[in-house]
Amino acid sequence: MEELFRFLTAEGVDAALVEAARAFRRDHPAAAEDQNRVPVPEYFYYGRRTWELALAALLAGKNLLLAGPKATGKNVLSENLCALFGRPMWNVSFHVNADAAYLIGTDTYNGQAVVFRPGPIWLCARKGGFGILDEINMAKNEALAVLHAALDFRRSIDVSGYDRIDLQPETRFIATMNYGYAGTRDLNEALTSRFAVLDMPLITGEDLNKLISRRYPEINPKICDQFVRLYEELERKAESAEISDAALDLRGLLDAVALMEQGLTSGDALDMCVVNKSFDAYERGLIRDVIAARIPSDLTRDVVFGK
Amino acid sequence: MIKKQFTASARRARNIIWNAAGRYDFEPPFMAFFPNGAPDHYFNMVVGLVEKWLEMPRIWAFFESYGTDRRAEEFDEFLWLGLENCVYEKEVGERPILAKLRRDRAERFSVQQGMLSRQQMEYQSMPVYTQQEARWAEVLGKNAPLLTPREKRMAQALKFPGSLDTDGVLAAMAAFLKTFFRFEPSGEETPLRRGGALSRLLLRHEHRRRDRLLVRTGTGEGDHPRAVHLGHDGLGRHTAPTEEDEAYIRAVFGRSVISDAERRVLENDLCVDADADCRVWVTAGEGVDTAHREAADVRESSLLQRERNQAFLTENAAALQHTIKALATRMETVLSSYLRHLPEPSRAGQICPEKAYRLPILQDSRVFLKSGEEIEQEIFVDLLLDASQSRRNMQETLSAEAYVVAKSLMALHFPVRVSTFRSIRGYTVLDVLKSASQTDCRGVTRFYAGGWNRDSLALRLLGHMDDDPVMRGKQRILLIMTDASPNDSTPIAAMDRWLPREYEGAAAVKLTEDAVRSLRAWGIRVGAVFHGNSIHMEDLNQIYNHAYVRIRKATQLAQGISDLLLLLLREMRND
Repeated sequence: MEELFRFLTAEGVDAALVEAARAFRRDHPAAAEDQNRVPVPEYFYYGRRTWELALAALLAGKNLLLAGPKATGKNVLSENLCALFGRPMWNVSFHVNADAAYLIGTDTYNGQAVVFRPGPIWLCARKGGFGILDEINMAKNEALAVLHAALDFRRSIDVSGYDRIDLQPETRFIATMNYGYAGTRDLNEALTSRFAVLDMPLITGEDLNKLISRRYPEINPKICDQFVRLYEELERKAESAEISDAALDLRGLLDAVALMEQGLTSGDALDMCVVNKSFDAYERGLIRDVIAARIPSDLTRDVVFGK
Repeated sequence: MIKKQFTASARRARNIIWNAAGRYDFEPPFMAFFPNGAPDHYFNMVVGLVEKWLEMPRIWAFFESYGTDRRAEEFDEFLWLGLENCVYEKEVGERPILAKLRRDRAERFSVQQGMLSRQQMEYQSMPVYTQQEARWAEVLGKNAPLLTPREKRMAQALKFPGSLDTDGVLAAMAAFLKTFFRFEPSGEETPLRRGGALSRLLLRHEHRRRDRLLVRTGTGEGDHPRAVHLGHDGLGRHTAPTEEDEAYIRAVFGRSVISDAERRVLENDLCVDADADCRVWVTAGEGVDTAHREAADVRESSLLQRERNQAFLTENAAALQHTIKALATRMETVLSSYLRHLPEPSRAGQICPEKAYRLPILQDSRVFLKSGEEIEQEIFVDLLLDASQSRRNMQETLSAEAYVVAKSLMALHFPVRVSTFRSIRGYTVLDVLKSASQTDCRGVTRFYAGGWNRDSLALRLLGHMDDDPVMRGKQRILLIMTDASPNDSTPIAAMDRWLPREYEGAAAVKLTEDAVRSLRAWGIRVGAVFHGNSIHMEDLNQIYNHAYVRIRKATQLAQGISDLLLLLLREMRND
């Protein structure tokens, strides 16, 4: 994971914070049986300021809520943080039917007796992991109430009818929530107050440029710049609700570059990874118009990668 | 080539313009189309780039300054060639593909050139055609057509350089018209505009008295040559509606379904503050007075519209049935996730004490409870349609959409009431097209557009309509089909101001926002289905605070309505 530390240094992230993260990692190594839960990130999160805020919060023992619209890198950052601190990750996807049993654990019969079957939050707390609470605002507030004691100064979970466990000191929770078009609901105050809230900025053109260039170092810089501008234009179109945010997909754009590297033309690659993300024929037409105003459809690998 | 046009493909053209301009908060004064009606991608980009690099309102004002001249269209074509060159040079550095798009456009011109019939050539202005030919030949690196010395000078003058700012471009445009056509724009408003302002003053005192319900016609597919826009000619007379007005309302819309005494109580509650000069009327469309002269006109037009609505339903029956099925399926999924699930036995979950004995004795491990598939049916849906004049180009579509939503909800056994609202002569009229207990949805074909829309009062009025026994014990959801542009001829009551203000713009939006907030405070979930222009998006957002979906065509209805329902149910569940 040295590469990630080098990356942070190169990005200009505060050296003291980086060193503190390194010390945390050294002092709290993951157990051998949990090593497979420590993620190895494919992409690095770009955004010096956001890194500094997130590191400071986690080092201070706080839980983190990453709030922002689609494609702001919430999951990339949370995965990067787990990797940097070298802690096993439990990813909990929230949905409307998520309840206390799903999060903490449930009763079941093992053939001889009714026993407790632990849920991901319980396991994360016992093993000092990083719990990623994905799309936390999708869940009902009453389901989240069981997390209150785990997330505040008590740092404990009382499993009704069983035992009360204390969180390992390394345990942190990183929640993500989406807001924007169609207005997902805000979290209630009781839960929000238990997190340090990081308002995730939209990725800047400069950072997106770095992200693509780092992943595809041989890409022609001028063409890379046009991809960045294309993304910004799609972003504006989605913001004005002229298209849904289906096509506003950072992963899709990166995938399109990957397909061009494999030899597809720009038109085919962008069709597959960006345009066809929308299932509405008219909307696809609008997205194609935006692409046609930026990227010729016949760019080949040799042109895109300057080979 | 570049025209003011409102066709089905206009939205695509607008999007190209907005994208090139990098902004979405303006309505383009020009759009470009090919003769077959398809948007001209390159020239729409040019329009957008003019907005990006230059001050479009000033450029537009220049175009307007010669609007009454018989050569206006010819001038437009020349000047757009000049603007094209200017913004091309400004933009191409940061958008290299523009050079290719320009060449593609030039090639398309040369292909079309050979396809024009003699008759089409006769309609074409030859001086313009020559300049276009010269421009595109140069772009393609071909030999320029044979030009006279004057034409050569024109071609040169139309190469507005990219270094010009708005003042420079305006000067170049004026110089071009002066040099080659001896035309000098006056810089004053055209007589037409002065007339408009004058007539406003004259109309000032009698305005509201002249309100009549106009029901129109068109194809209903939104391709009317002009977007419908209601304007205020001046402040309406600041008086309360009279008995004569009430007689008109009764005659046109039918008798009130609530007694006079109840209506007075309602008005005491609702017609206060900003709506102090208004009255309300709730009807089911029965008892229309056909003997009333003005009512007879409206009756005739509305019956005609009803026939059109019914014909539209019949012609599109297959597609509508498909949408009903799709919407019902989506809603079922959404509702089954959000409404309370009844518990069912399971092998894991919460242990059920009264069944625990079965474990050791019967070895039955299904003694736990988890959330089951069955859900409680506990919502009541009000569908409210804005029936003001601004909706008149989409009456058949709106009626069909209301039909689809009502049918889909009924398929899931949820009670739904469909109403329209409009304001006229100080009355805000709520017309119930389909009551919650009616099983037949054909009543929604009574929908027709005409009048104003005082959204704030209509919303609060519907909020008070809570005496239907079907809705008892149920959560109320209100879906409003709107263009988020409230507008009424009865001004906002003066209250502490010297003069009343028009019910329009930011003030009307604020009042509607307050009305929505008060409905939410009463526990009614309000969501908007938006069928309007992008310029009203901010107002929409302000009024409904993210609880809205935008529907541009019927195929988006299933996704849009189910998304909106999901949002409202999520709110409901979390409160």
